[in-house]
Amino acid sequence: MQRREALKSLAILTGGAVLIPSCNFEKEDILKAYSNLQITPTLQTLLGQIADTIIPPAQLKGASDLAVQDFILVMVNDCLDKDQQTQFVKGLQDFNAFSKKISGSAFSKLQSTEKEKVVTQGLSIGAGADENQKTIHEFLSITKRFTIQGFMMSEYIMTEVKPYSLIPGKYNGEVLISSISNLKING
Amino acid sequence: MANFNIDATQQRTFQAIVIGSGMSGSWAAKELCEHGVKTLVIERGRDVKHLRDYPTTNMLPYEFEHRGQLTKQIEEENPVVSKCYAFREDAMHFFVKDKEHPYVQEKPFDWIRGYQVGGKSLLWARQVQRWSDFDFEGPARDGFAVDWPIRYKDIAPWYSHVEKFAGVSGNKDGLANLPDGEFLPGFELNIVEKYFQEQLKKYYGDSRHMILARCAHITGNLEYYKQQGRVQCQSRNLCQRGCPFGGYFSANASTLPWAEKTGNMTLRTDAVVHSIIYDEAKGKAIGVRIVDANTKQTEEYFADVIFVNAAALNTNLILLNSTSNRFPNGLGNDSELLGKYVAFHNYRAGISAEYEGYSEYTTTGGRPTSGYFPRFRNLHKQETDFLRGYAAGFSAGRYNYADQSGIGLSLKEELLNPSRYGNWSVGSHMMGETIPKETNYVTLSKDEKDAWGIPLLSVNVDYDNNDEKMVKDYQEQMTEMFEKAGFTNIRVRDDKRAPGLDIHEMGGVRMGKDPKTSLLNKDHQLHACANVYVTDGACMTSTSTQNPSLTYMAFAARAAHHAMKNQKWGKV
Repeated sequence: MQRREALKSLAILTGGAVLIPSCNFEKEDILKAYSNLQITPTLQTLLGQIADTIIPPAQLKGASDLAVQDFILVMVNDCLDKDQQTQFVKGLQDFNAFSKKISGSAFSKLQSTEKEKVVTQGLSIGAGADENQKTIHEFLSITKRFTIQGFMMSEYIMTEVKPYSLIPGKYNGEVLISSISNLKING
Repeated sequence: MANFNIDATQQRTFQAIVIGSGMSGSWAAKELCEHGVKTLVIERGRDVKHLRDYPTTNMLPYEFEHRGQLTKQIEEENPVVSKCYAFREDAMHFFVKDKEHPYVQEKPFDWIRGYQVGGKSLLWARQVQRWSDFDFEGPARDGFAVDWPIRYKDIAPWYSHVEKFAGVSGNKDGLANLPDGEFLPGFELNIVEKYFQEQLKKYYGDSRHMILARCAHITGNLEYYKQQGRVQCQSRNLCQRGCPFGGYFSANASTLPWAEKTGNMTLRTDAVVHSIIYDEAKGKAIGVRIVDANTKQTEEYFADVIFVNAAALNTNLILLNSTSNRFPNGLGNDSELLGKYVAFHNYRAGISAEYEGYSEYTTTGGRPTSGYFPRFRNLHKQETDFLRGYAAGFSAGRYNYADQSGIGLSLKEELLNPSRYGNWSVGSHMMGETIPKETNYVTLSKDEKDAWGIPLLSVNVDYDNNDEKMVKDYQEQMTEMFEKAGFTNIRVRDDKRAPGLDIHEMGGVRMGKDPKTSLLNKDHQLHACANVYVTDGACMTSTSTQNPSLTYMAFAARAAHHAMKNQKWGKV
């Protein structure tokens, strides 16, 4: 793994005096986010399904395989202001009603193509819509943003799919784009 | 140093005391200790040992709970320090939090501080450009502040001394206004930056230059730096976390361990300096009074020579708080100018644009520096309706990005294979000289004290009309140069930031020839108390445009040698 290699080369260069940090996902903070935002297990499952609709599993893992819903909740709880938090929670609570209105059924009962339709429709709600609609839009926008961030900056993606290196290598200020091999990921 | 014994006066007596362990203090300590001088280094914050105390240095992006972002709570509790670009989840433990160390803002001033061993040398942007006589002669030529008591020739050998040890990467550019130094191999400018260089040559001949900025990173002479336990910079660009390679200069990686190795350095951490003790009978300073940061007990330490390197504004605070019958208004303050003529660098303006050329090219790898415009305005003579001028950063970059408009498998595919390239982005930011004025000052609060019983610092610093004109000129000149180079979508900005966020606050204890109009002489001694030296930002008579740390380091080394020669110490 890239990380181990980087640490190994560090250890050689610095005479072994290297700290190896522990990777700790703060379990307590995840629980705190659930209680602060009053997220029930049902809502948690629903959020995971929405995240999976945005980034579905296929050959490569999808959002909920990586517990992206937990990341979303921690970010909503810690990094958004009260107003956005309220919108997010209300949007999540109202989402099944929205799903029923669009597709006639609760979100979890839908096939994946129908799920995509519901989320796409929610994301395309415009500024002229009523407050409830705008709340759905705000909720989905926040969810999409953090789903993308949580997925792309997950350990899985950054080690197994597109390895991140702490040591980016020598700067080259004149590289032909055509000379960079474009790895086709995900088929 | 762990079991510090404070029984006897003898044990609390040293040859020299250095207040502050950062950029400049660590240089004074290194020079003194290296030449056999028993030195006490006093640091108000905690110890930060190289490697041991860099908890985030090797953390991967996904190991940060908020992926680098600040939480709302931290932002709300820290309205000042949150504005600093480097105050992020990975390095916030090296910054002073607003609540812990309050100060009074008579006018808005963002005071960014690092209270720990190494100070802000852990966090700096590592840009090291020399001054020239175009800078030292500024006040005399243009009739502001007072004449600097030194010139380039006085400091040039010390620049070399410091550059060699710290490690400075750069190119020899042969510019009179930005003298070349002891350079390790330079990093590379990219294809668009080189193109811009050519365009400047075409339109402005030899009057305007954009060069590779010199930065304090090791890129060669590796055997030499091995002695310090430092190795080549790996271009990680994670410097603010503390570098496990010692790739950039910090007190923690370089000067402090070097001083410690001599056996002549004693480090007293968690010691808040209350004042410098002045002995009326002896007519000199004899020591330093501190308050233990944790126990709040007062202790006194004694020495023949005292270096004040607490960082510009805190050096002012200590001297203002060092009162005696002889100096009722602060140590060495016969001129009544202590705390006045504070200045800074004006970082308000910036410009960004795009370049449609070289669309088939991009860059790879990392680089800890960028391009740099030495000052060109009013260089040889006064040519505008404002005094002095500005330096500027410059860089170009190419980014590929994913179209994030969809959802589902198509989004996933696009995220993992971002195929789109925008135009090249080009940008610059301004680093303007500000004119020191008596009306820009710091004082001690009359009624508010900190948790250690020391008066709060009250800051009264503002922009003036000269700064406003300079912002406008920067925007106009950069726009003109960008247009000539064929850049498009040019946008100028003025973020109206408060002074302080540049983290280049200077002055208050300025150098000068005349004790009536300055505090320090040409050798950094207080005119009225010659065994006290000030070599940090507080000593600055004017600010010029260069990032100032290199100059403080050279000043500190030079002054340390002056003190040793004066005291007939060591093996100088």
